[in-house]
Amino acid sequence: MAEVPVKIEKGGAWVTTKIDISEDRMALPDPFGVEVPYKNIIDLEERKSIIIVTIKGSPDVTYRIASVEKVLTALKIRIIKACNAYRIMAYFMSPAIRGGVLVTNANWEKGFIAVMRTGIWFASQAKQVCVPLKEVASIELTKREVQKKQTDVVKIEHLEDKDVVTSFVLCPISTLQVLYNYLRDATKQNEMKGDELDPVSAQVAMLVYSGMDTHSIEGMLNLSHKDLDAILDKLLGLGLAEVMLVRRELQLTPKGVRYISEAIKPST
Amino acid sequence: MGKILVVDDTLFMRTLLKNILTAGGHTIVGEGEDGDDGVAKYKELKPDLVTMDVVMPKMNGIEALKAIRGIDPNARVIMCTAVGQEQMVKLAIKNGAKGYIVKPFQAPKVLEEIKSVLGS
Repeated sequence: MAEVPVKIEKGGAWVTTKIDISEDRMALPDPFGVEVPYKNIIDLEERKSIIIVTIKGSPDVTYRIASVEKVLTALKIRIIKACNAYRIMAYFMSPAIRGGVLVTNANWEKGFIAVMRTGIWFASQAKQVCVPLKEVASIELTKREVQKKQTDVVKIEHLEDKDVVTSFVLCPISTLQVLYNYLRDATKQNEMKGDELDPVSAQVAMLVYSGMDTHSIEGMLNLSHKDLDAILDKLLGLGLAEVMLVRRELQLTPKGVRYISEAIKPST
Repeated sequence: MGKILVVDDTLFMRTLLKNILTAGGHTIVGEGEDGDDGVAKYKELKPDLVTMDVVMPKMNGIEALKAIRGIDPNARVIMCTAVGQEQMVKLAIKNGAKGYIVKPFQAPKVLEEIKSVLGS
């Protein structure tokens, strides 16, 4: 058992304390006064220097714990290994591709995958990566060359700070199939039939993905403002996009025209 | 900022790359519609960098990469291909590609990769 310094949120304020962590549980002293077996933890989220731990109960109880990276890493590994989640031993590569660019130092890490209530954790001794389920864009069972052999992998695409990030999971095919089905069910809300968009709307969606603004899209696809607006409405209506910025086009009033005319007169 | 040659058989992807690269301050010195055209344009224009699609008619991107590197062993070529063809990465890198981007891509990441390759 090890005693580590943390801050735990209580009623909107942070309580500085020390918690005991062991292989199968953590003990939070007063004013919390609870022992939490990791197997009772049903969710783990991460926000910068904070982890958010949810424990099954009636109702569920959530603790926000802040600490230095070393302590949080030790806690995360213990929780991910033992919590109440769908968990498999696997190799993972995360991130493998970011924004369409291959991550040059991406390697296969030996560890495990834990699918929790709000996220998928990729964890090894050296690395712990969380992909929130609400940010998962697509799940695909595909093949990838591993040690010169075409190998079955699950490919997961998700959003991270506006970047589209791709990760891969590698394990025996039977387990991969189970993982794939599980993740597909968990992210069903993002599924589409595939026939919702006509070719031009699909091109517009692709250009939005690539970071083009509406002015560039009009020019590239030779669309009128009105036609593009209708396509954007369609993308918004299907939940494929959200409004990031409303840009305004102006026309000067007579007062504005007079101001400009006066302003450009040579001074005498 | 660099002088860039964009080689891709689809007008849509060429237009998209041109927009991303010019918005990033680069100059597009030419476009190639297939591998043959790309190699000919390389000889003619001597760009600082080439973005090269992999799957193209006449001469594919890997063959064009080999031909360009044959003309200029220091040529900087970034390969560009669709999702699912990542196995081409090793082949391209083996043949001297300096970078690899996977369609669909996002503008800021493409610009970072271009900057990194131009700085290398």
